[in-house]
Amino acid sequence: MRSGDVRREILHAIRENLAQGLESSPSDRLSAPASSPPVPLSLPERGDVVKHFTEQLTAVGAQYTVVRGETQAAAALARILTAAGARRVVGSDAPVVQRLLQAVGNDLVINRLERLSRDELFACDAGVTTAQWGIADTGTLVLESAREQSRLLSLVPPIHVAVLSTRCICDSLSDALGRVSVASHAITFVTGPSRTSDIELTLVVGVHGPQTVHVLLMEEA
Amino acid sequence: MTFERDARTALADGQLRGALRHATTLFGERRRAALATVPDWEGARDRARAIKDETLAHLDRYLEEFTANAERAGARVHWARDATEACDIIGEIAEQRGARTVVKSKSMASEEIHLNAALARRGIEPVETDLGEYIVQLAGETPSHIVVPAIHKTKAQIGALFADKLGIAPSDDVATLTAAARAALRRRFAEADLGISGVNFAVAETGTILILENEGNARLTTSLPRTHVALMGIEKVIPRFADLDVFLQLLPRSGTGQVLTAYQSLLTGTKRTPEDEGPEELHIVVLDNGRSRMLASAVTRQSLACIRCGACLNACPVYRQIGGHAYGSVYPGPIGAVLSPQLFGLARSAALPYASSLCGACRDVCPVKIDIPALLLHLRAQVVAHRVGEPRVLERLAFWIYAAVMVRPRLFEWVMHAVRRLRIMPPLGAWTKWRDLRPLAPQSFREQWRAGLRDEGDVDA
Repeated sequence: MRSGDVRREILHAIRENLAQGLESSPSDRLSAPASSPPVPLSLPERGDVVKHFTEQLTAVGAQYTVVRGETQAAAALARILTAAGARRVVGSDAPVVQRLLQAVGNDLVINRLERLSRDELFACDAGVTTAQWGIADTGTLVLESAREQSRLLSLVPPIHVAVLSTRCICDSLSDALGRVSVASHAITFVTGPSRTSDIELTLVVGVHGPQTVHVLLMEEA
Repeated sequence: MTFERDARTALADGQLRGALRHATTLFGERRRAALATVPDWEGARDRARAIKDETLAHLDRYLEEFTANAERAGARVHWARDATEACDIIGEIAEQRGARTVVKSKSMASEEIHLNAALARRGIEPVETDLGEYIVQLAGETPSHIVVPAIHKTKAQIGALFADKLGIAPSDDVATLTAAARAALRRRFAEADLGISGVNFAVAETGTILILENEGNARLTTSLPRTHVALMGIEKVIPRFADLDVFLQLLPRSGTGQVLTAYQSLLTGTKRTPEDEGPEELHIVVLDNGRSRMLASAVTRQSLACIRCGACLNACPVYRQIGGHAYGSVYPGPIGAVLSPQLFGLARSAALPYASSLCGACRDVCPVKIDIPALLLHLRAQVVAHRVGEPRVLERLAFWIYAAVMVRPRLFEWVMHAVRRLRIMPPLGAWTKWRDLRPLAPQSFREQWRAGLRDEGDVDA
């Protein structure tokens, strides 16, 4: 049977069954109260959003460093990478990431993503990207594929460093859902490091994705 | 009866019961703590249910809208009436691309259609990449919990399994075992030609599919291979992108007690330029497999509101004792007891609607307020009406007599009198095996009434 026919048949079955349901049971209809507008999880003062966000980052097991301007950011990035023992570092195509990595210097082998084979990517210690948004309520980073090539760098290496402007922190999940655009074929929400509790419910951090997520929070210089 | 036999086996397994008690209690506590962070949890449940009801009432329209938008974004949507069709579609996609190894992230629907066996028959090796699913696959077993598939295995058992299958030194250190699985699976991710995932929500408005997870294996599965196949039941669709908000508040909190899982991937079609990252092809397989039938009544329709969080498993006093395997179905616990008979036929799962004390704990924790006890009663009535399962001649006779006596007051009085005089009790068999029947009073209320109770007190005043 052709695919279009199967589709028609399933949709037909859905309509037929729905029609039956309407005839048989307006009275045993289960109560479903009318939709009401969503209540925000919390409403911190605008000035407290950064504080709220960093608290949540800590709660979900991510690290953060607050910096002012790119010079401070580059110094912080160098410290983070050295402390983590990262030797092979890859940056995304975001201009700010490229500038920061250039400033970090030659101590670390810094690769460009587009020159990497899959095996080389798998051998990297750290990926540096930006995040398009942060979510204060949940300590979440939002990555949009239309803005930057961060999909693999934020996932494959054991260390992920994400540069985020403090101006891009949203209050809540619903706020963030309103800002992202499906012009990005992949939108990724990242809340802390990769984790599993599949063996005896014992938490292990860093299973398939990064073990370390470090957010470099940049205030305007 | 398999259910009864398997339940007995589970009850005799002290280690299993200890693990189940630990897991279900912990998840219950975490869930309660997590939902305390939502100011209006009841309101969120009501909104989510209203969205599901609205979607299901117009499911045809929303599915068409989803399909049009997903295809506009570059995905290809396939339709499967049953398990065989879905397996054939996915098997053919894999074969046409010469896939030898397929990486899979967790998908209940793929287990429902027994996709792994179907792929293996075509000479394609499916590799489960969720740690729990990977353990279960290596052991040649089936998952015992929706959220924690290998909850029935100890770290020592997993250590022995990994030593045998992966050739690592025996260990019962959880971090070491997890690292071994990561290393072994990295190789499989690197060589995989195709990635297969499930779908948690499919947004009609944008054609987006959303996948939640904690480990990162679903991100790898949907990012690295050239082709991504996503399998979804027809009920996964929701109308609007903004509706994701309430479901993302409910699902992680109900499932694992997290405010959010580590990752949500929102995928809309395929990459837009050759330089973009991600698969070149996205195939979305929409599966009916008995679901459209559930739309035919308001009672059964609510089964399709389920978002597969697993909260009802953790809350269920039956599941907490016997675990998932005894249910003999991909879907265990209270929701499994209502889904399995509807999906796989009453004949195969006639015992499951009875695997409940109807205490209602499942209904209380359900984030979309599915009235599971009502569904269980509905299915029990069907089991009786269709006379599925063992013929119970004595039970039917007993209820026939009971009904005949209860509608005739004089007969009732006479029978009760005789029962008291002769001190006979009906043979209630299994029922009285676990319960004490209370002794009958020497005088019935009606007899006491006639003998003067009527004149005591000032009833008529």
